[in-house]
Formats: sequence, C-alpha cells, structure tokens
Amino acid sequence: MPAAIETEGLTRRFGSRLAVDDLSMTVPKQAVYGFLGRNGAGKTTTLKMVLGLIRPTDGVAHVCGLNVARDRIAAARKIGALLEAHGFYANLTGAENLALTATLLGAPRTEIDRVLEVVEMRADAGRKVAGYSLGMRQRLGLARAMLGAPPVLVLDEPTNGLDPDGIADMRRFLRSLPERTGATVLLSSHLLGEIEQTATHVGVVNDGKLVLEGELARLKADLAQEIVLRTGDDARAAELLAGHDLAAVRTETGLIAPLRPGDDVDQAAAALNRALVQAGIAVFAIGPRDRSLEDIYRRVATPAQRQLEVA
Amino acid sequence: MLAVLSVEIRKLNRSLAALLAVAAPSLIALFVFFIVLRGQRAGSWDMFLQGSITAWAFFMLPMSVTALTALVAHMEHGPRAWDHLRSLPVPRWRIYAAKALCVIAVVIAMTGLNLALTWASVSVASVLKPTVAPTGSPDVAKLLLLNAKIVAAATLMIAIQLWAALRFSSFVPALAVGIGGTFFSVVATSAKEGVFFPWQMPVNMMAKEAWRVETALALGGGLGLVMLALAVAHLARREVL
Repeated sequence: MPAAIETEGLTRRFGSRLAVDDLSMTVPKQAVYGFLGRNGAGKTTTLKMVLGLIRPTDGVAHVCGLNVARDRIAAARKIGALLEAHGFYANLTGAENLALTATLLGAPRTEIDRVLEVVEMRADAGRKVAGYSLGMRQRLGLARAMLGAPPVLVLDEPTNGLDPDGIADMRRFLRSLPERTGATVLLSSHLLGEIEQTATHVGVVNDGKLVLEGELARLKADLAQEIVLRTGDDARAAELLAGHDLAAVRTETGLIAPLRPGDDVDQAAAALNRALVQAGIAVFAIGPRDRSLEDIYRRVATPAQRQLEVA
Repeated sequence: MLAVLSVEIRKLNRSLAALLAVAAPSLIALFVFFIVLRGQRAGSWDMFLQGSITAWAFFMLPMSVTALTALVAHMEHGPRAWDHLRSLPVPRWRIYAAKALCVIAVVIAMTGLNLALTWASVSVASVLKPTVAPTGSPDVAKLLLLNAKIVAAATLMIAIQLWAALRFSSFVPALAVGIGGTFFSVVATSAKEGVFFPWQMPVNMMAKEAWRVETALALGGGLGLVMLALAVAHLARREVL
C-alpha cells in the first residue's frame, strides 16, 4: 500500500540558494504528520512541490502513489490544501467562495453545507469574507480544503490567527480526522506544542534537509532517560550525583540527571533517593522526566546544540 | 471549461471590476448628455452615437481595458489566490483562458453598454430640451457592426494588457503599459503608423480609408488571438512563487 505522501530526494534551488535539499519523507496513510521547522527552513517550499505548485530541481513527490510532476491533475484530486495565503475573494461571501471551489472540483452543493457544518461556520457563511476575522478565514480555509472529501489534507500553519479556544478545537478536530474520515493530514508548523499535541508522526526540517522523521511516541521513547529531582541543597546533590557518574545539570525546576543507556529509570531513582537521604540531603521530589518534542527538536535542529553535544 | 468560465464570471459579483464596467460607459453617456443639452439645434442620432463610439474607441476603451485587466488580475494577486487556484485539479491553461474570455466578455458588454447608455442619455436630454431632440433614427445594425469591429481590433491590446496584469503581481507594470500605450495613441492620432499600434487599432475602425480599417482589424484581431494563446500558454507554464 503506497504512503499518502512520499518524496524521494526532493530538491529545489532558487538561484544559488538551496531551499530544499535531497528531502525524502514518508507520510503514512491515516497519520497526522507534523512537519516541523523554523521559519525559512524549507517547509512551505516542500509543501508547494507536493502540491505541484512549483517544480523540483531534482527528486520526485508522490501523492497516494501518483507522481505529482507527471500526473498533477490526478494527484491534485487526492489533496485538499489550506495554504498560508488563504486566497479568498473579499467581495464574496464565505459560502460563495466555497461554491467557486466546489464548481471547479465538480463537487455537489451539499458539500458546501457539510464542510461549513464541520468547521461550525454555517451562521457566518452568508457574510462577505471582507468582514471575517483571521480565525474565521482560517476555518473557512479548512472547510475549503475538505470540499470533496480528499484523502489527504495539507495544512500550512492551520492554527494561525485562531484564539485559544479555536486552537484547541482545531487540534481536537485534526486529531480526530484520520479515525472519522480515514484522511491523512500533513500539518506544517513552527510551533512545537502544536505538533506535539496533534501529530502522530513528525518530520523535522532544518536548512532544507529532513533531519528527523518517525512516529512521535517512538522518537520520544528512543531518547535517553533523565531523572529530575528537587532537593534541599542542589549544589551538594549535584556533587553527590557526580560521584555516581551522573552529570546532573541545575535548572530552574531542579536537577536533571541523564541516565546511562540501559539503566532502569525506577531503580535508578530509588538508588539516587537512597544515596541523597543517606548524605543528609532532603529530597522533595524525584522521578523520570517527561520527554517532549522540544527535546527531540533541539537535538536535531539546532546547530549550536549539536556542537555542544559533540563537545 | 464552462465551469471555470462560470467561476470567473461569478468572481466579478460586487467587485470593483464590475463597478468599472458600468462606470466607464456611464461617463461617456453623461458627457454626451451635457453636450446635447448645451446644443442650440438638433443633431442626428448617428452624430451623437458615432461621437460616443469614437470617444469610447479613442480613449475610454484603452483606459478601461488597462483598469479592467489590472482589477481582474488583482482579484488573485491581492489575496494571493494563485496558489489555491493552481493547486486544484483543473488544467492551468483553462484558468487563464477563462480569465481572458471573461475580460473580453466584459469589454463587449461595456462597448454595448456605451451605446445603450448614450442612446438613453440623448433620449432623456431631448425630453428635457425638445429643441435639441435628435433627428432621424439610428442605424442600429451599422452601429453594432462598428462596435463589433472595435472590440475585435482591441483584442491585441487586451491580450497585451491582460498578460502584463497577470504576469506581474504589482499594479505598476500593467498601468505603465496601459497609460503609456494610451498616451502615445492620443498624441499620435493622425500618424499613419498608428494603424500598427495596438492601442490605436480600435479607433482605426472609424477611419475613412479602407486599408486602415482592414489592416487594424486584421492585426488587432488576428495577432490578438495569437497573443492571447501565447499569453495563456506562458502564464500556465510559469511558476508563481
């Protein structure tokens, strides 16, 4: 079964600037794939190549097994997209804007009501888009992307402009999409929290290269375990941990001690607790540190961090 | 193709381009209205209607095409709608061809509206001042044929303006081309070479010399269709970054 989206060696140059460099990514079917990278990392250029909007200098993109460059129309039928620039006609109402796209897709008028219902925009659909807030435009953009129920949704920064409730709704909605509709979501963002709370899979792009890809839960599990502790005397506790070959780092939240590969986190926490108490250091809290996407991201995406790790 | 064309036409709803389509011919009709009222004696229908068509072909049509193509193109440039449109499963050439057909349809409507509004304004003026009521009756068939020739001869100008407006996201190149073209067309009105100048081809349909009419019509219409096809092909192939 082909992946929902697959790129092989995707490369794009703009003059002498290499925007996307030999990028090979795989978005499994029914995944919510978070495509993460700082601004200018190459996310939008990659998405544009996947959508057939720009041609790769090298490499190939497939959507549901269809080569985008050779079979753009068939591939485009499989994708609904919400791009950073919404491209709505401000002189028309929300429903009229959707109707234009529905006509071009050959989708029935009932589709307009369906997608408006999904994004809870029925009440405002008769108003001109000129009067919409950014959040409303974002939701209308999502509705437009879903017209015709495409199996793949490509969403570029979908929570831009949404208020906190809207962001929470959007996350819930995107997480539920694969189960509810069988759709695959490729979600681009520079916000770690957004990807972490929404995605099942993640790809990190940095300077045009895909530096990490995989299932989010597995990536987190693969990170080295760390123990976080709060004590009555962090300075002495750090010295004591150093004596146990654990290089603890003092942070605002307490001490963080990375474990050696193969260490059992519970056993290690118990042993450290015993040692600290025997040394007369009060232990207020001790336990495994929750690993976040930020930990993964920092390891692969920040050159300065990589240099520190090498040093 | 009909679906894409219907989308292009529906986009004009409540747009500035639609407003322009009514406003530009209305200005000429208003101008003729005051000319009639200022007159001391009656003129013929043909005189007023021909005068209106001349003003249209000579100046208002080139300026209107400049503004119309810029406004129509800006409907996509402004909200950066190209990415959405070009990502849809529709052959891109159809999107641009539909836009070209839509612009030509609006120009035809404006040209017809110019004639209709002028007729209405002369009629109203002659009610207000019966002494200047036009004599005779207008030769409608002849006037419609003249209008058709004017639009046909304007095809090359429309193609150039539309390409410039769609190719560049800024208003400036399209306006510069249109204003420049109209300016040279006006200042070189009597030059024989004007027959080869796209912005002067429409007004050459009023010329007395048959060779001018035929040459401007053949070049404006024939080259215009070729230019339109080339513009559509070029715009469909190029990337919009």
